[in-house]
Order: sequence, then C-alpha cells, then structure tokens
Amino acid sequence: MNKGRIISIHSFRGGTGKSNITANLAAQAALAGKRVGVVDADIQSPGIHVLFGLNESKMGRTLNDFLHGKCAIVEAAFAVGKNSGDAEGRAKLAGKDLWLIPSSIAGREISQVLRSGYDFNKLNEGLQTLIKELNLDYLFIDTHPGLNEETLLSIAISDIIIVILRPDDQDIQGTAVTVDVARSLDVPKMILLVNKALPKLDRADIKARFEAEFDAPVAGFMPLTFDLAENASKDLFSLSRPEHEWSLALREVAGAVLAMK
Amino acid sequence: MSEDIIQQLKTVYLFRGLSDEALSPLAQKVGVLKLMRDDVLMRKGERGESLYMIHDGWMKVVTEDSRGGELIINKCGPGETIGEMALFDQAPRSASVIALEDVTVLELKQDDFQKILDERPGLSLVIIHGLSSRLRFSTTYIEKAIDWSQKIAEGDYSFIDYTPTLLRRAGSDEDKAGQLLSAFFKMVKRVKEREDGLKQQVEKLTFEIDQARRKREFDEITSTELYTRIKEQARKLREQRFERQDE
Repeated sequence: MNKGRIISIHSFRGGTGKSNITANLAAQAALAGKRVGVVDADIQSPGIHVLFGLNESKMGRTLNDFLHGKCAIVEAAFAVGKNSGDAEGRAKLAGKDLWLIPSSIAGREISQVLRSGYDFNKLNEGLQTLIKELNLDYLFIDTHPGLNEETLLSIAISDIIIVILRPDDQDIQGTAVTVDVARSLDVPKMILLVNKALPKLDRADIKARFEAEFDAPVAGFMPLTFDLAENASKDLFSLSRPEHEWSLALREVAGAVLAMK
Repeated sequence: MSEDIIQQLKTVYLFRGLSDEALSPLAQKVGVLKLMRDDVLMRKGERGESLYMIHDGWMKVVTEDSRGGELIINKCGPGETIGEMALFDQAPRSASVIALEDVTVLELKQDDFQKILDERPGLSLVIIHGLSSRLRFSTTYIEKAIDWSQKIAEGDYSFIDYTPTLLRRAGSDEDKAGQLLSAFFKMVKRVKEREDGLKQQVEKLTFEIDQARRKREFDEITSTELYTRIKEQARKLREQRFERQDE
C-alpha cells in the first residue's frame, strides 16, 4: 500500500454533515493505529476544529499562516492525541497519531485568503511536507461545499474523493456535476456516501441507481438522527456513542476506506 | 315453568341480588310468548313497555341502513335480556327485534313490575344496587377507553400487552360498555398491526437528474482557464509523486 493518501471529503451543499463525517472518519483511522492528518480547507467557514476540542483561545498557527508564508505547515499542526481533553469520546484519542491543521477563524485572515486566492503549488507543497514529516498514512481534507477554486484544488490533488450527498433532488443534481468534474480531474478513486437517510428508504434500490447514475460505489448510508444533531459539535460522536447506529455505519465506511488498495 | 322463570330472572342483572322468595311474585307476573320465524317482537321507535327474556331460540336485532335496507346489529339467544330499561321509562325502542326461528320469550310488563315495587319497597333498593354497580362498570370501561385513546394518540400501544384479563371480563359480559371496550381493543390491535406494516414498507426514492443542466454546468466549470491550469498541475503532481514512490 502506498503511504500518505490524500482523501478529500466533499459535498455539493452545506449542512450535509461533511465536517462531522470527516472528523469521525479521521478519528476512526487514528484509533485503528494509522497516522492521520486532517486539514480544514474550508477557509470560508471553518468548523471542524470544534470537534477536535480546539477553540479560539487554544488555536495557534493555522493553514492561513502557512499559505501566507508566516510559518512552516508542521507548525500549524495541532496534535489531537496530546490534547484530547475532557470530552468522553475524544479522550479515546489520547496517545493516537492524529493532527489537525485548522483554518483561521479570524475574519480578517479569512478574507485575505479569499482575496488573494490559494496558491496551488504552495498548498500542495504544504500537504506533501505534512505527509512526509509526520509520516502520515492518511491526510483528510475537509473542503468547502460547492465547486469553487480551492475545492477544485483539493479534489485535483486527492487520491480518493468521498462525495457526501443527501437523498434529495438538489443534492443529487449537484453531486452529478461534482462527480463528473472529479472524474475529469483524474481523481483515482471516488466513493459516494449517502447521509441523512430516512429508515423507510429502500437502500438497495438507491445504491443500485446511484451507482448506475454516478458510476461510483456507494460506500454507506448514514442514518438521520437527532442524537447526532444534539451532540454533534461537542464531541466525536462515533467515539462517545460507539454503539449508536450512526457510529456503526460510520465505522463501516471507515473500514471500507482503510481497506482501499 | 315457574322455577324455570325464577332461574331466568336471576340471570337479569337487575334482579341478581334477589332471593327465590323475593322473585316469586315477579315470576308470577311473567307471561310466555311463542314466536315463529319473522315474527316481530318489537319495532324500532315504538314505545317500550316490557322487558323480554329469551327462553329458547334465536332472534335478530335490526335497524335500517342509510338506504332503508335491513341492517342486523346483533343476534340474541337463550338467556339474554332485551329492553330492560323499558321497566323504568317508556322511551322508544332503539331497534327492532325479529325471530330467526321458533322462539319462546318471557315477558315482564312495566305496569306489573311497578305494582310489585309499590308493594315491596325493599325490592327497589336491590334493583338500584344492581343498576349502580352496572353504572360503575360502565364508567370504568369508559375511563379505560379515554385512557387508551390518549395513549394511541401518542403512539403508545404498550397497554395491549397487559390488558387481557380486563378484556376477558368485558367480552363475556352482556353490558354494552364492556362490548364497546372489547370492540375498541380489537380495533386498536388492528390499527397497530397496520401501522407496523406501514413502517416496514420501504419507499423508493424518486429523483430525476436534469442531464442537460448537468452537462451545461460541467462545461461551465471545465471550460475555464483556471480549470485547465489546475488539471495540468494536478497531472504533473501525480507524476512526481508516482516517480517518488517508485524510487
């Protein structure tokens, strides 16, 4: 298996639970003993840091600092395993090899990057350095919804893209375009993940039709659950509620991703 | 026949607390009616003036459906009492009762009954006792039905599992409130079965992709200079990584 795989998690619209799924997949990979990095490339609306227990006061260097040449990328890496804190789920990550590269939540810095745009080579160089210096098995990228410039960049440099969609018309239409674009960018592997699936839906039917329509495998169905919504931003749900149906579904997807050749 | 009549009077809940001796004067006033198939014992709307007890044979209790046709709402057989409230009031009969075969019916007229009551005031108390215990049962059943209705509205069907005893009693009792409760219970079980069935029914997702729009939006993105640049750079990067890994 080749080391240092870049996995970007994408959705056409916001609110699909992308950050939650990204953070939990990364956590599961770390729990399985992998060396894992998570990059919050959603510069416009960063948020994944909260799930890893990183708040504004604790936040040091960020991806923005690196992109502006203010620091090396490794300096922006927050070691989750050494700062897993008091939350029940996150505590299980103590001692694990998991790093988060957060995006700045300061408004000024956000607009600065948006004005000047990403430097493709700079971002890529940073990710490659990160993989090398932290000896990563996996690097997860949480992207901004839609298909803007920085998201196209993230997709383009990925080895695997996980496209999350809800089973509704708007998401399905937008996902069709995303899938076509990702394929056109020669992303080697693409999987679909159906989120917020109601129990009454015929999953076998959806799987067959989505796979036919998008020519990519459906790796799993994440059930719609209020328990997650209540807990979501406080902790890593698949760790704090490991026996919950959502967590079981997530672990199945994590297993499929880790098993990819 | 007299002893027979006393025994039958005892099955009427109104007279349940009375001794043979106390029932004897009532029994003497009871008349015997012989009916043949299709003979009408009472008609709906007529003033009720007698209580009837079926001695043998079967009768149908009928009313009219919305089109004026006959609608059988119940069947009554040996030992059953019909129109007992006519002993106290003279309200119109709520349904017609017609013989299904040869039937023997015992009749106690209101006038005779009230004369006996006048002579024996103690009898009234026993009868009131019978009526009030019936009323108490009815109230219990109605309260149950209210309680169940509220639970069903909240989707809580758990009471189905712990009420069989109550139902056996209700089902075997001749009183109407008990029958209502029994019917209500059966209905709830059916509703629950149907609901469970619906829950298990899977739904097919309906969706349609606008393929023309999909193509248009794809073209809009991929025709930009930015896209071409990204694609080219990504290709180079992949090659570099590939080479590095080969080393």
